[in-house]
Amino acid sequence: MVEARSLSARGGRILLYAILIAFAAFYLTPLIVVILNSFRSFQEITQTSVLGFPKEFRLDNWVQAWGSYCIAGICSGISPYMWNSLLIAVPATLISTLLGAMNGYLLSLWRFRGAGLIFGIITFGVFLPAQMKLVPWAITLRDLGLSNTLAGLVLIHVVQGMSFTTLFCRNYYVNVPQDLIKAAKVDGAGFLQIFWRIILPLSPPILIVTVIWQFTGIWNEFLYGITFSEGSARPVTAALMALSANIAQAREYGIESASVLIAALPTLLVYLFGGKYFVRGLTAGAVK
Amino acid sequence: MKTSLLRTTGLALLAACLTQAPAQAEPRLTVISQWSAGAEGAAMDAFGKMVTEKGVKWEHSPVSGFTTDMMNKLRADIIAGKPPAASQLKGPEIKAWSAIGATVNLNDVVKATDYEKNISADLAKIHKPKGDWIALPLQIYRVNTLFASKKAMDKVGATELPKTWDEFNALAAKMAAAGITPVAHGGIGWADAMYFELTLAGISADAYRKAIMELDDKALRGPEVLAAFKQLRQLTKWMSPSNAGQHWSVFLPALMKGDYGFLMMGGWASGVLKKGNFEEGKDFLCGPTPNNTGKPVFDMNADGMIFWDTKNADLLAGQKATAQVAMSKEFAKTFTQINGSIPVRTDIDLADAGFQDCQRDAAKNLAGAIQANQAIMSLGHNMAQTSPVTAALRDVLTEFVHNDKITPEEAQKRLADAADTVR
Amino acid sequence: MTQTATTMQAGQTRPARTAPRRSWLSDIPDLLTRIVAGLIAAAAVSYVVGFTLWTVVISFTDSTLLPEYSFVGFKHYFTLLRSRVWQVAYFNLTIYGLGFILGATGLGLLLAILIDQKIRAENLLRTIYLYPMALSFVVTGTVWAWLLNPTIGVEHFVRSLGWAQFNFGWLVDRDMAIYCVVIAAIWQASGFAMALFLAGLRSLDADLYKAAAIDGASPARMYLRIMVPAIWPIVVSVLVILLQTAIKTYDLVRALTAGGPGIATTLPTNVVYDYMFQRGLMGAGSAAAVMLLLSLLIVLLPYALFQRLRRGKGGGHG
Repeated sequence: MVEARSLSARGGRILLYAILIAFAAFYLTPLIVVILNSFRSFQEITQTSVLGFPKEFRLDNWVQAWGSYCIAGICSGISPYMWNSLLIAVPATLISTLLGAMNGYLLSLWRFRGAGLIFGIITFGVFLPAQMKLVPWAITLRDLGLSNTLAGLVLIHVVQGMSFTTLFCRNYYVNVPQDLIKAAKVDGAGFLQIFWRIILPLSPPILIVTVIWQFTGIWNEFLYGITFSEGSARPVTAALMALSANIAQAREYGIESASVLIAALPTLLVYLFGGKYFVRGLTAGAVK
Repeated sequence: MKTSLLRTTGLALLAACLTQAPAQAEPRLTVISQWSAGAEGAAMDAFGKMVTEKGVKWEHSPVSGFTTDMMNKLRADIIAGKPPAASQLKGPEIKAWSAIGATVNLNDVVKATDYEKNISADLAKIHKPKGDWIALPLQIYRVNTLFASKKAMDKVGATELPKTWDEFNALAAKMAAAGITPVAHGGIGWADAMYFELTLAGISADAYRKAIMELDDKALRGPEVLAAFKQLRQLTKWMSPSNAGQHWSVFLPALMKGDYGFLMMGGWASGVLKKGNFEEGKDFLCGPTPNNTGKPVFDMNADGMIFWDTKNADLLAGQKATAQVAMSKEFAKTFTQINGSIPVRTDIDLADAGFQDCQRDAAKNLAGAIQANQAIMSLGHNMAQTSPVTAALRDVLTEFVHNDKITPEEAQKRLADAADTVR
Repeated sequence: MTQTATTMQAGQTRPARTAPRRSWLSDIPDLLTRIVAGLIAAAAVSYVVGFTLWTVVISFTDSTLLPEYSFVGFKHYFTLLRSRVWQVAYFNLTIYGLGFILGATGLGLLLAILIDQKIRAENLLRTIYLYPMALSFVVTGTVWAWLLNPTIGVEHFVRSLGWAQFNFGWLVDRDMAIYCVVIAAIWQASGFAMALFLAGLRSLDADLYKAAAIDGASPARMYLRIMVPAIWPIVVSVLVILLQTAIKTYDLVRALTAGGPGIATTLPTNVVYDYMFQRGLMGAGSAAAVMLLLSLLIVLLPYALFQRLRRGKGGGHG
């Protein structure tokens, strides 16, 4: 009996891993294509096929992508643009996450009249198509004197991001027991103290999800990045676009693949290192 | 060169002191374009170098990606009140955009040269929408270019490109019988529209001019347009059913291998083939697409540059110098040699080794077509109509290409109706 | 900025309610912090309301390349409703939206539950499932277009292995191409759904698991009956995120099918973009955007009302 059970448990484990690995393969296939192409030359791709195994592993796509490919006469690859993107994405992600956590806390734990409506309106913001907001933002930035500045782009991403971060945080905080807040109030803690001492320590799992969403979204954003920036202050997506060329040319798939992989590294690092904040039982620890 | 640069700078400085202009008195040009990388980027860099040699500081800020992305940038800059001194723009959009932002009058600069006499009158008209020169064409591509796979031609024993649609149909049928897919096609909206324009232009350039460029209802519902749809239906039957949503270059390997017979694509494709180590004559043949009219037809795609008005004296000086460079013979050669297009000026000798046969053929073709009054503007490449019109027609054409249940008669009706809604 | 970082460390060591410290926090007047919090929320609200109203106003004008204020009433709405491409786009959005949201939610939940089984290499697998989010669709959409294309991708590959009859030509089939968009979209977004679900599951009290285990409920039952309802607000977040992704999907279609074959995979956002920027008809483009938002309200309002009713009866939060 006991043996049979552990056997089936073992079978279950094997099945579990089989499923997990099968899905990993599904997710990885396109990445493998990109990785393989990053080692193939333009000539090889043009003469055989866009899908294929490299004849030899050439590194020059990577070298060119990082530091010597020419964009508008500046032969520096994508590396300087990576820095620009960091200057936009890091502050915008952190500020919008913090403000969203604040909003979520305000709307979920300080229940006041109209909180539901305010939450509804802010959430509605996530649905506004980017195209629709382009011209209003151009006007807003002009009026604020922020046209073609990094600060302007950060502002856009913070304001737009708040809709998302508020949604995530509010819906996470509604699971926090109200008693916790009441007890703190009895202790004489104020609005900000409760947020800082009680709510934020409970938040790592949702904050990492929020950071992942914001950072990825801002890092990969193209439409605003290219419209509201200039010259050498362009984000990396603009440089990537330069590689994906237009109708008159065949795309440099090799260099483009290498660039895309390089450009994805910061986000992948966020995913990897963010992982340890997916810990169980934070609320449990706090209530006891 | 160096001395002349010094002299120009010196003169500029002197002039600045005399007129007491702001301290940073040196000609410069802020410009946005899509040409950021590859051969086009290199051509643009060469342009910049020539302008720099005239003492102008060249500040190129490329917006790559789709044309719309560049337009968005331009729009945002116009809204912010700071348009660039010059920006890439072409076709009837020059007229449309010049209505929302003030432009520079280049009449004096143009009239001082023999430029206007040596370019197509139709093309000139586009760049002076209200009579004054506000923009300049930089390069021309022949859209009606036919590429044939040498291997496929050899297989059916053909040595020459088909001249008329009948010849083409006969050769394509032979290829199909030999197991070759006669027509390679990526299958994206603009390319679908392009295949239609090539058939109509090759049946009657006059009808193309009336129907597509002038949106004449009678021509749209006339027999030539119907014949073009019938020929296009024939072409779609010769395309692989799995050609949809791909960039045209994706099928180049198979074309060169002889799996496909022909590709109709703008002259830029020859540059891509060259870069892929394929040789004209050995791997592929290049010439005009089939033409029943008996006289040369040239379907034109010409990129240009528009100059935006500014109060800044440095920018104004930069604009003038840049315009002079763009009209020069030297520029015409350098620019087109790098990116594979052909010069706007028809008085340029393309005998240099730097040009490909395909370019020489196109240049000759252009001169002949201008003489025969059969140089027309491309629909698929936004040269014939403003964007709203182009898009409305394109919607009809792309559906026709990908849905063989739509008859040529039905498509013709839809096209004429679509023109009604946007005319 | 640095504040968030410190918080995370605090979360890790979890000092939560040990030794109440006196700090700069208590020096800030409580009223001021409340006012600031209120202003932040107000900014978020006014952005949404302001930009939406502006678009509505523009949709009634004949704006072309730049906004202008010559009003033409409902002209653009009528033109759009009658146009073929708009009808196709709405039909596509329905198929795509349903397929994508159900698929990504289901897959995301399944993966979150599987990962929650104390498995090895959790961090690695989670990253593998998440990474599609990190690559821009300009590239992955292109790669999917190759993989799904019959002459170069999967079909070609399987046939070359010897199975000559194998057919997988959805991408170039007018009626099936939209499902290719669904597949690629699920591939990209399901990992994020998984991450949100996982965060939700990890927010639950460990005692809940123990109690459920003692109850002797089977794992599947335990998750569906106890855990998922307990993280319902997170499920709502996932649905909202997927819904907004569905509604706003634009570059995926552009890279994968370019809206084709023909116009068979065009989505409303493609129409908005096309009218607003490609055709340079800002008035009509705004009308398209407003109609898209209106259709969204038709989906969302009943849900909001349902929530109200439920809350009225004293049911939980959410």
